[in-house]
Amino acid sequence: MSEQTLDTLRSSAPYAYVVLDDDDRIVHLSRAFHDTRGRGVGHVFWDHLPEAREIYGPHLAEARDTGRPVEALIFYAGRLKRLLAIPGGDGLAVHIENLVELDVTSLETLTRSLQRLDAELADRACEQLGRRSHASLRALP
Amino acid sequence: MAVTVRQETPFVVLDEADRIVGVGPHAESQFGPLLGASLWECFPGSKPLFKPHYDSARRSAEPVEFVQFYDGNVARVRAVPVGEGRLELQWEQLARLDTLTLDSLSETLDEALELLGDPGPGNGLRLRVIQGGSP
Repeated sequence: MSEQTLDTLRSSAPYAYVVLDDDDRIVHLSRAFHDTRGRGVGHVFWDHLPEAREIYGPHLAEARDTGRPVEALIFYAGRLKRLLAIPGGDGLAVHIENLVELDVTSLETLTRSLQRLDAELADRACEQLGRRSHASLRALP
Repeated sequence: MAVTVRQETPFVVLDEADRIVGVGPHAESQFGPLLGASLWECFPGSKPLFKPHYDSARRSAEPVEFVQFYDGNVARVRAVPVGEGRLELQWEQLARLDTLTLDSLSETLDEALELLGDPGPGNGLRLRVIQGGSP
């Protein structure tokens, strides 16, 4: 597959997706990311995201340090997001999927969106417990 | 002194159909052009939160003051009947929800709920979310 085809495929990914170099500078990004965040290649990922470094940073560092993909749920700028950081030869690929967005129109809409957020976190906790159970079952003779 | 306060307080005037027929300078700088627009079209989702209070002020011909949450803000609103079904609305922002991080959300949600004087179902929920959601 040519680099140009690869670029086209990456750019058209429906979710927000960036590739960062070792200095957290954007070396590639999907159209969805560019459209929603308006930043481009060459920008440092954190430059326009106040306090994001403290939230995203540890997960990105873990992926770089271990050389393995890291998945995490994070809350930033009114949204619960699924973050997937995958280290690769051309940088660290960071996929961000919005799961729940807080609706602050009224206390009622806020309560509903907090409930959705809560349910999503509970589901995730169950999944993690499930994975641990599977792992321990597999370890049985 | 009273005049200074009056000028700094954002206000709009509504006609009997809740169309904006008067706008104070601070209201315009806060929200942009409002004159001639329907209040409920300018502020989607606000009608069920505010209209009962405005109806009450019109019915009683007495000023009504209340604290309400809307669009991430907690504001004290004063609705003053000024004749012919018109209402003058003045408001003061008391708090704003900061949704940047879970910590800031937790802190400002506490403050907002306290100002609203009713912890309601959100209180326990809030604590669960914050505890479960720490990255």
